Amino acid sequence: MDETPATLPVPDVDDLEDLFENAPCGYASALPNGRISKVNRTLSTWLGHPAKDLVGSRFLDLLNIAGKVYYETHFAPMLRMQGYFDEVALDLVRADGTTLPVLVNAVVRKDEAGGVRFIRITVFNASDRRRYEREMLEARRVSEQATVALLELNLTLEARVADRARALDRAWRLSPDLLAIADAQGTLLAVNAAWTDLLGWEAADLVGQGFAEFTHPDDLEPTRAALGRIMTTPLVEPYEYRLRHIDGTYRLFAWTGAFEDGQIYATGRHTTVEHEQAAALVQAEEALRQSQKLEAVGQLTGGVAHDFNNLLTIIRSSVDFLRRPDLPEDRRTRYMDAVSDTVDRAAKLTGQLLAFARRQALKPEMFEVGERLRGVADMLDTVTGARIRVTTEIPDEPCFVMADVSQFETALVNMAVNARDAMNGEGTLTLRVNHTGNLPPIRGHAAAPGLFACVSLTDTGSGIAADQVARIFEPFFTTKEVGKGTGLGLSQVFGFTKQSGGDVEVESEPGRGTTFRLYLPKIIGDACELPAVLRDDKSFPSGEGQCVLIVEDNVEVGRFATQILEDIGYRTTWAANAEEALEKLGADGAGFDVVFSDVVMPGMGGIALAKTLQRRLPNLPILLTSGYSHVLAQDGLHGFELLHKPYSADQLGRILGKVVPRSRN
Amino acid sequence: MVFAHGFGCDQNMWRFVAPAFEEHYRTIVFDHIGAGGSDLAAYEADRHASLDGYADDVVALCRGLSVVGGVFVGHSVSAMIGVLAAKKAPELFESLVLVCPSPRYLDDDGYVGGFTRRQVEELLDLLDTNYMGWSQAMAPSMMGNADRPELGEELTNSFCRTDPDIAKRFARTTFLADNRADLAGVEARCLVIQSSEDVIAPLEVGAYVHRHLANSELALLDATGHCPNLSAPAETIAAIQAFLRGPSRG
Repeated sequence: MDETPATLPVPDVDDLEDLFENAPCGYASALPNGRISKVNRTLSTWLGHPAKDLVGSRFLDLLNIAGKVYYETHFAPMLRMQGYFDEVALDLVRADGTTLPVLVNAVVRKDEAGGVRFIRITVFNASDRRRYEREMLEARRVSEQATVALLELNLTLEARVADRARALDRAWRLSPDLLAIADAQGTLLAVNAAWTDLLGWEAADLVGQGFAEFTHPDDLEPTRAALGRIMTTPLVEPYEYRLRHIDGTYRLFAWTGAFEDGQIYATGRHTTVEHEQAAALVQAEEALRQSQKLEAVGQLTGGVAHDFNNLLTIIRSSVDFLRRPDLPEDRRTRYMDAVSDTVDRAAKLTGQLLAFARRQALKPEMFEVGERLRGVADMLDTVTGARIRVTTEIPDEPCFVMADVSQFETALVNMAVNARDAMNGEGTLTLRVNHTGNLPPIRGHAAAPGLFACVSLTDTGSGIAADQVARIFEPFFTTKEVGKGTGLGLSQVFGFTKQSGGDVEVESEPGRGTTFRLYLPKIIGDACELPAVLRDDKSFPSGEGQCVLIVEDNVEVGRFATQILEDIGYRTTWAANAEEALEKLGADGAGFDVVFSDVVMPGMGGIALAKTLQRRLPNLPILLTSGYSHVLAQDGLHGFELLHKPYSADQLGRILGKVVPRSRN
Repeated sequence: MVFAHGFGCDQNMWRFVAPAFEEHYRTIVFDHIGAGGSDLAAYEADRHASLDGYADDVVALCRGLSVVGGVFVGHSVSAMIGVLAAKKAPELFESLVLVCPSPRYLDDDGYVGGFTRRQVEELLDLLDTNYMGWSQAMAPSMMGNADRPELGEELTNSFCRTDPDIAKRFARTTFLADNRADLAGVEARCLVIQSSEDVIAPLEVGAYVHRHLANSELALLDATGHCPNLSAPAETIAAIQAFLRGPSRG
């Protein structure tokens, strides 16, 4: 009655019984022989066996076969040896054959003598826990698989990166172009094998060196500038400069590149060969032009030969008349004039032909179209023949263009030949110069602004069929019989006008005739800037008794020259060769005012003489003369005045008047 | 006198039996490779995939300890290991004591081993997730610490520590082995100790072993279970002593 609240109440037997029977875990007690002596209600309910049926059986009997083996090999031995065995995961077999996952703890209870009193077995329902374990294990398995997959993916990625790296490395190694990585100062950081192939340098020679080490000295400044630009703007338009080969020669490379992440990445294409090819192309074009010209020369030669025969006939018959002893003086004068005029004409023709055929590079120069047209009109006359009338309509106002004179004349000859054939040898060829102002639209090309001179050739021939107009400028296009023409003529005309910045237009009406119009860019300038052109001025200054030393190995020519010079007021002395001339001149010039010397002579010759005198007597004028223009073209005139043979008294007088001082004072 | 433990335990299982023979014998207890305090590094997966490998270990051990004409006491799978060792080196053992032996656990054509293949697979499965108790088996595999065996030290079950991986492979080797043919040609005297109720080595198996060992006696104990050396040490000792006092020792 007077129990204090602090005293623990004595456990109620019913309460303990309830705790044992209905605890949330199963209890079983086994005797030392392993037979079950007592189970609680919880365990018997889980197993579906009445408690009384379980008493007397062994715990082993509640297990599946695997559990039985485990019990025998592990559970029982451990229990025997250490007196307990905890946390054994086993499956108990229920009455209905299903299994119950459990965790089992067992402990041996001993009496004071150490003998086994009983074995206490505690059974926890592990259904949820086992499921949880399975899920955990499954999650872990998935995670491990993912790890493995990730690992494989990493390996795959690494392999891909390695593949890519290998591909890049291969591209780097196999590139035929120079590849380089350089720092911002232009120091090479990496180079590919092409450097060795193209320039002979090994990578070790290059890496760590500045680009300037291998750059042509003349290219250094522009290359530095290009390097500066690349820092801000990728180099897209190739920049070319020369790099030194290990053998000391230079090679051209066209570079592109960019500056990224603090480094310059650049590619250099070897262009030496391209330049060589371009030069070869220029040479081929040159050869084509030459053959086009030779074609024209061939055309000319026929006409010239024919004309020459006519001229020779005039000279021949005049000389025959002059041999007559009883020839009246006025007739003699007339025949002499005829011979003289005829020789002039012949000399002009051969001169033109030689100048025309001279091999020379394309050299644009400024010239006056009308004057040049007038100059070749005679030659065109010989090309077209006697039954074709050549007329020119040239305005008084001069018209200057910039073009190659030789090519211009060739073009005129080619068009004249074409006209002659179209007219079947009979008709009129009209040459005109017009100031048209600008370039009209031609063959689909838009009209071009700017001032153009128009040179037109109009024939009265058969015309060109409409379907052939488009093709006539093609090289080797010809309607002529085999052997009559190569078809290069009009293609030269086309090439010339295009190269000169102009164009050529053709207008044709079958049965009525054809007009070719050459358009050439006009030069707005002053005619005074042109080199002085010798006018056919009949008057020339006579000599004033100045002393001329004639050097000439040919007796006839020497005598002729002596006579002419004395006729026009000079005093003369004749030396037969250069050595003799030097002797006569002595150390002080011996009072001579001018030396008039042939070029091609036995001994030292005219050029060497002129050079010697120029050194020894620098104030003594020298005039050279020769019929061999090729010699002079080859060796050069060295600044000396030259008179072409054959020359007339007029020409000799005029040129001497120019080179000889008017007064010795 | 050499005592060899069976699958699932270590030399501790002889702690109630071996001392009884110390008075008359030099007794040797040892752990198979992978069990107890053995050197795990000595385990060779290929060599220990068959009982021959374990028998070689026994021969090497006994030669190293100069055992000649001794007594070999083997429990369970070690009974068969002893048979193999005795055939490899007949000079080692005069007598073999085979406690609960089985040359073949699987039932075979006309042979009763006690297990179907499915049951053995189920057993190996159970061992995978339950070796030496839930904590020791499950915790490492869930926590992923299988490579940190020191974590296994903190276990409630302190006897028969074994390497879990080797133990699993030992189980496979043990329960799938077939050494019936090796019973023939054993020269030593043999004692087959048969427990009266043993799910692992049933009576039929004991009878089979006895029948196929030329020079053998069979002792059927009152004890039940697979480990009479633990559950009934006195009866086991008595059976062995009776055998050792037998005819040959006169």
